[in-house]
Amino acid sequence: MTWHVAEEDLRAYARGELAPPSLWSADTHLTACAQCRARLAGATEPAVLDAGWERLDAELDAPRPGPFERVLLRLGVADHTARLLTATPVLRRSWLLAVLSLLMMTVLVVRVADTPGLFLALAPLLPLAGVALSFGPSLDPTFEMAVVAPLHGFRLLMIRTVAVLTTGLVCNGLATLALPGYGLSALAWLLPALALTATGLALSARLGPVLAPALVGGGWLALLLVATTRADGHTPVPFTAAGQSAAAGLAALATVLLVQSRDRFDTGRAGHFAGGDLP
Amino acid sequence: MTPAPTTLTASGLTLRYGGTRALDDVSLSLTRGVTGLLGPNGAGKTTLLRVLATAVPPDGGGFRALGHDPRTSAGRLALRRELGYLPQTPGFHPDFTAFEFVDYVAILKELTDRGARHREVRRVLEAVDLSEVRGKRIKRLSGGMRQRVALAAALVGDPGFLVLDEPTVGLDPEQRMRFRELVAEAGEGRTVLLSTHQTEDVAMLCHRVVVLAHGRVRFEGTPAELTARAAGRVWSSARRDPAARAGWRTGTGTFRNVGDPPEGADLLEPTLEDGYLLTLDGDSAAVTA
Repeated sequence: MTWHVAEEDLRAYARGELAPPSLWSADTHLTACAQCRARLAGATEPAVLDAGWERLDAELDAPRPGPFERVLLRLGVADHTARLLTATPVLRRSWLLAVLSLLMMTVLVVRVADTPGLFLALAPLLPLAGVALSFGPSLDPTFEMAVVAPLHGFRLLMIRTVAVLTTGLVCNGLATLALPGYGLSALAWLLPALALTATGLALSARLGPVLAPALVGGGWLALLLVATTRADGHTPVPFTAAGQSAAAGLAALATVLLVQSRDRFDTGRAGHFAGGDLP
Repeated sequence: MTPAPTTLTASGLTLRYGGTRALDDVSLSLTRGVTGLLGPNGAGKTTLLRVLATAVPPDGGGFRALGHDPRTSAGRLALRRELGYLPQTPGFHPDFTAFEFVDYVAILKELTDRGARHREVRRVLEAVDLSEVRGKRIKRLSGGMRQRVALAAALVGDPGFLVLDEPTVGLDPEQRMRFRELVAEAGEGRTVLLSTHQTEDVAMLCHRVVVLAHGRVRFEGTPAELTARAAGRVWSSARRDPAARAGWRTGTGTFRNVGDPPEGADLLEPTLEDGYLLTLDGDSAAVTA
């Protein structure tokens, strides 16, 4: 053994007050280290020690958090929230690698063609798609169990949305760093991304998790097509100051509408089963 | 004998999908114990279970379960806290172990304290006899074991109302028998609604039965009452009787006929299945025994 549980941690462990992730390190270490077990026994009342062994026994059954879950725990996310997030399909490694690959290819194309248009068009769509795919029956196999659970559907949606949106924005941010030549204009995807995601979610409450983001994504591409055609060599409207202000306003409005329709995510009224094989 | 108190009352439940009336003025009541919901494919069983499990609100009508009205958010939350639901095709995150999956469902059921939650997960896995495989990934478990994992998830939090949608489909006879034992145990002290299209499930497990067809209740009563509907309407013959509504050759070579027997027919003891077949063959009006 190259290390042993610190005296202070050992006393906290004996009192049942040691918090994760130190608790899990101590659990793992104590199963393998006779010296620390002896120190623990010496420092603890017999009744407390029995409770400790029972807890240790239970810990041996408990699932070990994976790398993503451990990162969340180290960031201070509560263990139950971290577990909810590990079940979010688009936060899995394969999805993240696919998104990063797509962004890398886009950045390469932008650098070769010397125009940021493709990146600015694509980047807002990625968080929208990620959030849309993080709820609903198409990708969440436990969706039906989640709908009838006491945990409010809107709360689960928000937990996942914040995580997926943050991850999507970080991925886009990394791609932006690879385009230093365009300065702040390479960040013009940010407000449209927030606007599209918020609008997609707000419409999902009425149109369901497939149609709503598809309409919003299609609308964005149509808007870009028209704006680029009319730009006549200038910056397309969505990436001008006026366009960015409109995007910010739309994001705020959609957020208000989303909060107002939060109960629809809790009653199955959000169109989730409309395309199902009922009855 | 004092009748068991009613724990769920539904009245006039109606639900449409496009042009289809999946539920058409469904009214029923449940008591503690296992109630079987019988019906052919497309009868509306899954829709009714989804409505009663609060997954889908009805277009019309309503229900109260365990004293809670799910039309209000407070009532819906209170009912969901006492609900265990096993969907027809329970979805799993395939990379989760049995323990991790039930743990995940326990979090959805608001068990946020890690220690208490893990104790509950171990309790329900033990209840369905899966303690030994708790660390195995779900994708490596057999179909019967997966159904037991889903049942364990439904049992988290010791719910008073358990909704089970065709849990014995796809199981071999031994697994089905084991599952029936578990459902029978779960039915002690709880209100359990078990959807099935197997009359044996109802005969072995249920103290009450509801027959649903084309979104309407065709029968509500005890299995004995459903069986009694076929009394004097099952007979044996050497050839299939053309007058019979249903008839099939049995293992002894004779035909078992169900319907209106001819004069002097060799009548047989009816079974629950005979009563069920005749009920489906009846008119579309709701019938209560």
